[in-house]
Amino acid sequence: MISPAITTASPDEVRPDKKRPDEKYSDKKLPGDLAMWFFILAELTVFALFFIGFAVSEQLNKEMFTQGKAQLHQTAGLINTIALITSSFFVALALNVMHQAKAKQAVWLLLTAKAFAIIYIAVKIWEYFSLFAQDITIETNTFFTLYFLITAFHLMHVLLGMVILAFIAHSAWRDKYHNKDLAGFESGTSYWHMVDLLWIILFPLIYVI
Amino acid sequence: MQKHKTVNAAVNSWIVLIFLSVMAIYLPTFIDNRSHYIICALIIVMLKGQQIVDVFMELNNAPKFWRLLFLSYIVLLPLIISVIYLL
Repeated sequence: MISPAITTASPDEVRPDKKRPDEKYSDKKLPGDLAMWFFILAELTVFALFFIGFAVSEQLNKEMFTQGKAQLHQTAGLINTIALITSSFFVALALNVMHQAKAKQAVWLLLTAKAFAIIYIAVKIWEYFSLFAQDITIETNTFFTLYFLITAFHLMHVLLGMVILAFIAHSAWRDKYHNKDLAGFESGTSYWHMVDLLWIILFPLIYVI
Repeated sequence: MQKHKTVNAAVNSWIVLIFLSVMAIYLPTFIDNRSHYIICALIIVMLKGQQIVDVFMELNNAPKFWRLLFLSYIVLLPLIISVIYLL
């Protein structure tokens, strides 16, 4: 039997300083869809294995890895780092203006982000071709096998990220997102930040250390 | 006001990330000892990762579990790598 005290109590009568249990975490919300975060975790795990494998291989072939790193273009790596960080910055701004329901402005910010991603891709392709010009390929030695595998795998993620950014930009342009429901938009931006996060580990590991 | 704070945080993070990236490249000119250099480079990775996770990914406003999960990734992975290099 339901107590009369419970049935007659209105929300206004609840003490304002006493939060309901479900209100406790109401201001803490995971951006985007939960599924995207699990996907991001899976990707991070795969790359973690690559990075650890690279470090172990370097310890086993120190001389080969030192020579290999000397043949890489550090400035190209730095340009790519700056390009991806700046791209990620514009994506963060795009999400910010989407929260203010300025979809068209968000689209322009996403296009700027994509322009920086194109710089990354152009520099990476130039880097590959400059290595090919020196007769360095994926079969040259263990260092370059890992270098091409890891960087090309990352490049694939950049390309996929660009497709996702294009999709959310297109959806935003057609006003498919509403202020309260930005889960799809947030999922896309989170994926892009993951690509950036991976590069900031990849860059020092392969180019610098 | 909250939106301005978010934009300011993103701008500050971008400046910090660019500065740390450039610093990582020039570290060998300041630090001769390879072990010290590796540790510094990986600390820079952790600092940059924290900025991306908290500000760009906005996980500082997410449930604590998710924030800690991602922060642990950018702390533990460089730690594991540094242990491998320093062994």
